[in-house]
Amino acid sequence: MNEVMETYILPDIKDLHKLDVYEANGGYKALRKALGMKPEEVTDEVKKSNLRGRGGACFPTGLKWTFMPKQTTKPKYLCVNGDESEPGTFKDRQIFELNPHLLLEGTVIACYAMGITTAYLYIRGEYGKWIRMMEKALADAYAKGYVGEKILGSEFTTNVVIHKGAGAYICGEESSLMNSIEGERGYPRVKPPFPAQNGLWGCPTTINNVETISNVPLIINNGWERYSKIGAPKHPGPILVGVSGHVNKPGVYEMPTGVPLLEIIHKYAQGIPGNKAIKAVIPGGSSTMILRGDQLEGAKMDADSMKAAGSSVGTAGMIVMDEDTDLIKVITRISKFYYHESCGQCTPCREGTGWLWKVLKRFENNDARREDIDLLMDVANNIEGNTICALGDAAAWPVQSMIRRFRDEFEKRVKVAEPRMLADASA
Amino acid sequence: MAKITIDGKEYEVDPKLSVIQAAAQQGIEIPHFCWHEKLSVAGNCRMCLVEIEKMPKLAIACATQVADGMVVKTMSEKVIKARQAVMEFLLINHPLDCPICDEAGECKLQDYSYKYSVGYSRFEEDKVHKPKRVELGPNVMLDVERCIMCSRCIRFSDEIAKQPVLTFTERGTHVVLTTFPGTVLDNKYSMNVIELCPVGALTSRDFRFKSRVWEMSATESVCTGCSRGCNMNIWVRNNEVLRLTPRLNEDVNSSWMCDSGRLNTFKFVNSQERLNNSLIRKEGTLVETGWDEAIAKVVSELRVFKKTEIAAIGSAYATNEDNFVFQKLMKEIVGTKNIDFVPHMIEGDEDDLLIRADKTPNSSGALQVGVKPADGGLDLKGIIKGIGEGSIKALYVLDDDIAAIPEIASVLPTLQLLIVHSSVKNHTTELADIVLSCSAYAEKHGTFTNFEGRVQRIRPAVATVEQDRALDGFAMSRWDKFASPNDRWGRPIKKDARPSWRILGAIAGAMGAKVKYTTAEDVFKEMTERIPAFKGLSYLKIGSRGTMIKTSETVSSSVQMA
Ligand SMILES: Cc1cc2nc3c(=O)[nH]c(=O)nc-3n(C[C@H](O)[C@H](O)[C@H](O)COP(=O)(O)O)c2cc1C
Ligand code: SF4
Ligand code: SF4
Repeated sequence: MNEVMETYILPDIKDLHKLDVYEANGGYKALRKALGMKPEEVTDEVKKSNLRGRGGACFPTGLKWTFMPKQTTKPKYLCVNGDESEPGTFKDRQIFELNPHLLLEGTVIACYAMGITTAYLYIRGEYGKWIRMMEKALADAYAKGYVGEKILGSEFTTNVVIHKGAGAYICGEESSLMNSIEGERGYPRVKPPFPAQNGLWGCPTTINNVETISNVPLIINNGWERYSKIGAPKHPGPILVGVSGHVNKPGVYEMPTGVPLLEIIHKYAQGIPGNKAIKAVIPGGSSTMILRGDQLEGAKMDADSMKAAGSSVGTAGMIVMDEDTDLIKVITRISKFYYHESCGQCTPCREGTGWLWKVLKRFENNDARREDIDLLMDVANNIEGNTICALGDAAAWPVQSMIRRFRDEFEKRVKVAEPRMLADASA
Repeated sequence: MAKITIDGKEYEVDPKLSVIQAAAQQGIEIPHFCWHEKLSVAGNCRMCLVEIEKMPKLAIACATQVADGMVVKTMSEKVIKARQAVMEFLLINHPLDCPICDEAGECKLQDYSYKYSVGYSRFEEDKVHKPKRVELGPNVMLDVERCIMCSRCIRFSDEIAKQPVLTFTERGTHVVLTTFPGTVLDNKYSMNVIELCPVGALTSRDFRFKSRVWEMSATESVCTGCSRGCNMNIWVRNNEVLRLTPRLNEDVNSSWMCDSGRLNTFKFVNSQERLNNSLIRKEGTLVETGWDEAIAKVVSELRVFKKTEIAAIGSAYATNEDNFVFQKLMKEIVGTKNIDFVPHMIEGDEDDLLIRADKTPNSSGALQVGVKPADGGLDLKGIIKGIGEGSIKALYVLDDDIAAIPEIASVLPTLQLLIVHSSVKNHTTELADIVLSCSAYAEKHGTFTNFEGRVQRIRPAVATVEQDRALDGFAMSRWDKFASPNDRWGRPIKKDARPSWRILGAIAGAMGAKVKYTTAEDVFKEMTERIPAFKGLSYLKIGSRGTMIKTSETVSSSVQMA
């Protein structure tokens, strides 16, 4: 496998997290190169590379950068999103642990490209160990002049601030993340205005995922042409796929985009324990639509292919479930997560997520009626698209797809109806 | 201007407006809970979702700016379904305790349930429970279960009252409105959150559980708490005032009023200390007499004194009509030149929202209608001095408890005659020889002129012996309309009080003058003929929002008495 596979983000180099090892392996070369280019040229390079965001929505990164106003008297900000709280997703953590300087190098290059002088690295609060690792790496980078005043002797200055989350999934949503940094309640903002106009403290802001930013040095080092030839043409580059669930070797694997899901499961994660059949796969974190085992054939880990298969890449956090899995239990647990994490700001999500969970709980306890299946679908439909942020959709999609693709599982849990007694006349 | 289409009709609108604002201007209400014209946009309730052509999803009308060529649908099937969904969501965890909720009858959630909901519930699960009685501050009580988390109260406290003490804690359905640790909701405008709250989550600790709203009538009036003259409604049940609520007037008070005005200006109307008919002091005690006897007594007593021995004190609490007839009687019939009124300023007790240092509703009006010394007459200081020195022997006081002010109280006992108009027993009536019980502002028609020179109307909300709710055109509640004398609210207590202008007119008549006022508007009509600033005005023209007139004089605060 590794002979076809070049690893860029998490190469197998011992102690790469240490600055000297990183430097010895070409670290901060891209930064030096970028500082020799014009900022627009850097943005252009990223744009042409076709890099797409790894935070869930696959949004073209270079395009996002161009939304930042050039002429502005306000300070501009970059937020690097390492909140990583979507169930099934644990890939940014590997970057913090194994290649922190790649992330810092990408961050400084991104700042340079957009004329940003302060970047916030927002890390999930539960990641205590990894926050400390990033803090160490950042201190080293400051000491060596890769971050801070007049970087590498250039006129460019930028600072990076590590901000710890406080345990709310919603703070991974970009506008909520900005509120959180500002010390406000973690409530997503109504868009428009979009962050590029009105972001952190009302200033132009770009938010990118940790893995997205970690791709930037690769693009600068290799040039957009070479980068864009890695993996799927319309969604190129290396991608970190986190595989969990019923596989022999769960973990985070780096691969080019576009690898078939079955190959990821069987080659990378080395198959299903006991060679059982695959019942279902959630391909990109718990919010993405669940796929039946028989839908996996031909499905590949890139935006277009996943869309055609009826789901999405999301965060590429795959959850694999074998034939013995109780999917009602799975969907009930997923719903509980969104119920627990809904910020409560907007009506459909605040009320709907709890309703979904409570009805699902009855399915789990074999205490539901056949009509409850349609009720679930209707509640999910009523949330979808009608909320302030995408958490509402994230709560609706798993339920909708589960009903669409595994209706029989719900029907099996319906309580066998007894004739209902309207009035007890036996006494 | 932007051309937009709403529900198939084209409109030209200001391109800076949001869809909800543009629609409202055209008289189309897009249902909403969290949006409020006076507050920032929150976009959280999702009730105002509308369909906009070329937009992939429904959009919230409150946060979507109009654009030229925009096509908006507020009644499409998709929109109706989304609204029903939002209503269903809002109701699933709502306690539905309308039968015991103060808001019932004026609740947005209730109203919209009839208008936009399906009328049944599909929710069979357990509801989330939360605290039911939380004292947010001295005047406001919170029921967290009823809260729909629209954040209006938070935004009002932050943006208008500038006391940012409210916030949400917890997440999801468990969100709880609360005050920050160590703070209370106790600003001067705190009670405005009660009307802002679209549901019964925030209630008035003063009014709570006193009445169902449909049992009360609401009468348009003006607050008498200060010279701002905030527009408000007087809510009455069984002839008793139960609450005051602000009434929108962009030119005066926006949508707000202060807590003090709301709580401290109506209780005396219902009070046990109210006077009845007229009273004459006989052997040291005030004894109730008939109106005719009292009026005859006023006339005969006044005749005892020389014109220069008589002084008159009008009232900044009285209406323009009262003050006008008062000064006319005093100057033209009694013939005294010594006339003034007592200002009630509390320096420093003012702000740049509503509250004014002048704690009366009508000082500019009193001045303008002529409550000021005639040429060579004594002003307030002179009158007090004159009383003290014995040169002023008789004093006629219109509706102001002047004896509550120590420096005036100390000279009053030297008077030989003190005639007082008052609605309640007070320091001044204690000293008076003749007391005429005058209607409170809630019992009469009239006008006040506020500090800016805006003439505004007040209307009777409480019936007196001489008035009848139905015959005198009062605002009516369901009880007023449909109750019989056998019903609980069918036997109201009515005070035998008369508006001062009527009492004064009767006195003038008894003194031989030709005055024929049958209504307050008759008085007002004469004012329009005699006072240039009022020229061309009528009650109809003043309407419910008031009219600016030119005021030539301002109240001097040189005489500072609270
Ligand atoms: C509820 C919710 C949670 C999210 N959590 C994360 C997260 O933990 N990390 C992340 O990178 N993006 C998260 N996102 C997506 C971000 O809003 C944003 O799209 C992303 O950080 C942009 O980065 P990218 O363009 O590089 O993908 C979340 C979105 C939603 C709606
Ligand atoms: S969709 Fe859910 S998480 Fe997002 S703003 Fe609304 S309530 Fe909060
Ligand atoms: S208490 Fe009332 S105004 Fe405040 S958030 Fe709740 S529903 Fe809205």
